[in-house]
Amino acid sequence: MSRPLEGLRVLDFTHVLAGPYATRILGDMGADVVKVNSRERAIAGNGPESPYYIMWNRNKRALALNMRSDSGKALCRRLCDNADVVIENFAVGVLDRWGIGYTTVSETNPGAIYVQMSGMGHGGPWSSFVTYAPTIHAISGLTLLTSVPGREDIGIGYSYNDHQAGLHAAFAILAALEARRRTGRGQQIDLSQFETGVNFHGPALLDWFANGRAARPVGNRLPWDSAAPHGVYPCIPKGEGITGERWIAIACLTDEHWRALREVMGRPAWAMDPALNAVEGRMKTIERIDTEVAAWTRQHDALTLMHRCQAAGVPAGLVQDGTDLTDHDPQIRAARFIQPIDEPGSPLGQTFADRLPLHFEKTPCDEYHRARLLGEDNAAVLKDWLGLSADDVRAGEADGTLG
Amino acid sequence: MQPGPLADVRVLDLTDERGIYAAKLLADLGASVVRPEPPGGDPLRQRGPFHEKTGVSLWYTWFASSRSIFTCDPVDKDSLSQLQQLLERADILLTCDGGFALDALDISGARERHPALVHIAVSSFGDQGPWRDFLAPDLIAGALGGAVAATGVPETTPLKTFGELNFMVSGVYAGIAALSALYHARATGEGQRVSVPVHECIASCLEQVLMLSWYGGKMNRGRILPRQGGTHWSMAFTVMPAKGGAIMTTPMPDFDAQLAWLAEEDAQQDLFDEKYHDPANLPLYIGRLMQVMRQWVAGQNPEELFLRAQERHAPYGWVLPIERLADNPQLAARNWFVPFDVSGEPVNGPGAPYRFSATPWKNAAMAQVNGDDVLADLGWEASR
Repeated sequence: MSRPLEGLRVLDFTHVLAGPYATRILGDMGADVVKVNSRERAIAGNGPESPYYIMWNRNKRALALNMRSDSGKALCRRLCDNADVVIENFAVGVLDRWGIGYTTVSETNPGAIYVQMSGMGHGGPWSSFVTYAPTIHAISGLTLLTSVPGREDIGIGYSYNDHQAGLHAAFAILAALEARRRTGRGQQIDLSQFETGVNFHGPALLDWFANGRAARPVGNRLPWDSAAPHGVYPCIPKGEGITGERWIAIACLTDEHWRALREVMGRPAWAMDPALNAVEGRMKTIERIDTEVAAWTRQHDALTLMHRCQAAGVPAGLVQDGTDLTDHDPQIRAARFIQPIDEPGSPLGQTFADRLPLHFEKTPCDEYHRARLLGEDNAAVLKDWLGLSADDVRAGEADGTLG
Repeated sequence: MQPGPLADVRVLDLTDERGIYAAKLLADLGASVVRPEPPGGDPLRQRGPFHEKTGVSLWYTWFASSRSIFTCDPVDKDSLSQLQQLLERADILLTCDGGFALDALDISGARERHPALVHIAVSSFGDQGPWRDFLAPDLIAGALGGAVAATGVPETTPLKTFGELNFMVSGVYAGIAALSALYHARATGEGQRVSVPVHECIASCLEQVLMLSWYGGKMNRGRILPRQGGTHWSMAFTVMPAKGGAIMTTPMPDFDAQLAWLAEEDAQQDLFDEKYHDPANLPLYIGRLMQVMRQWVAGQNPEELFLRAQERHAPYGWVLPIERLADNPQLAARNWFVPFDVSGEPVNGPGAPYRFSATPWKNAAMAQVNGDDVLADLGWEASR
């Protein structure tokens, strides 16, 4: 059975995480993603042997192209003419300098969908600003709001917005393909990673503009709605130090959840106070509730307690770290979410794919191929896309066009 | 005005918080999206914040933008019949398990009669597995999915992200599932059901978390990164207190340029010491560099430092609150904020997360469609 995007050609100039995540998703769904790299750029996280690169560049073919050479640029232009999608996440202007800006590409390939995932978008006084995910988190409000009251220096502990920019780019490409089906024409998509990040504050921004209320961090509570208890509580540690801590999250969104939690706790006297029956009463003494719940959870194993809570109808979850997910999570195992990848000779030993989290009934996305080395697919890509012979490719490799 | 890219796409939206962002993404790009609600109103209309003047939910206003709202009484035969007709004429059905009216709809019958129908089924844990029936609002989903453990500092508990950020991940994935399955259906006539488990979506978007668990040993790092606030796993990006605020600073991508800048301002301390420039001592150098930068940043105005850094192409980020986004010069120059209709009153809110050159994004106001004439109102009947 074919995958949903079989036959779609994607020319991929992206690097680091946001762009490669977008094209990883397309590749997982069967698109022919050709990742363009060069000897000069294949360093650090953009180097094919780095774990970071391996994580985000599976299911793509690797083409090495020297964009400093005229012949490399000319070859690149021909590839653009044969692409359904051209995608990059450079700072503004790089592809124009290479002679493959949207205006140029669309002249000869009007069906091309051309995606630019810059930090700040094309245009505006900050358009030339340089950004990584921590930059975007800071300037988009994500850092300030993911915190506890009174602190501005916590923020999200992983590059959330890079993933989200990648997801939004993949979604936008699919929408543009649907538009092309109707109109016959491609188009340019300007994805500002900053705007993608600010977009997540929809309700908070409306609250500011409508009511003049500026959202502030609330820890693990809900920012606008009443729910108590709603937090993360300590359990019996599994080991030493901070990585040995064990925590359980409990979220009583309804009075029914609270009544069920009371039963799981063994109906302690403090919890049986009728003033706590309704959430309004619990919100008045939420600090005390958090303290009492924490005193109770401290005596328990987090996993066992999660099962007891869930069995009683209380939303609760073990706070899982990476090793919980990869080594122990029975749900992940049942879904076959983690798949070993055949990668003989890898310095990392056995490598893995976290599979596309979409389970297609008729076009399952079950193929996971390792990230390819620099230029490893030069011959195959240039034959498939441009009809070049093996001799042409050897000549290109010899004269430095491919490399 | 040109139609959006999804102008020919019909969607029936039976999602809750776990999937509603997918429906929003589709609707804002021009798909005709009908969202049924019970006569008592969509429970999501009770989500804060609320417009003080009218009591309207701003949460709902944003998440249900560009939707046609169809009041449906699940105990009324005619009402259910109309809902079924909507399903029979849809290209995409979006559901969350346990959602409104799902039990009353004949989804398998509709799929048999309309083989191109795409059904996106969002659930917390997928169709099988021991946790399939667990209750998982955003906090629990984030805890089990691995997001909560990675966030916070040693002196706080592990932390959830603000609002519904976990469900926005499953939301976009559901949107991707919908359009990729539609792409396949357009080409082949074959629709299908796609299961979207929130749990796996969250675990897919954790940057270093799975990488370190798999390869941390080979990278001379632990398998688990202790929660360390705004400090990136590479240790080369961190949020530092500044005068009257905070700023994310980093010596990336050019450590030498950062060192030269410190030297220009006579703030380099011992960073030119040879011991820091042995490649084997890179972690030691990064640690000391960040320490020196922290002292250098502490007395500075974060806005001025941010702008000075960006002039030097250094990717610093000023930690901005919501109110400073509202008057942000970049967003203003790109005319990013757009008015939302809140009970007839325009209220500014977020614009598009992406810009299409030929088929624009829009955030149309919600429209109530009349139950009796729903198909005609939507123009769905005429065009299939």
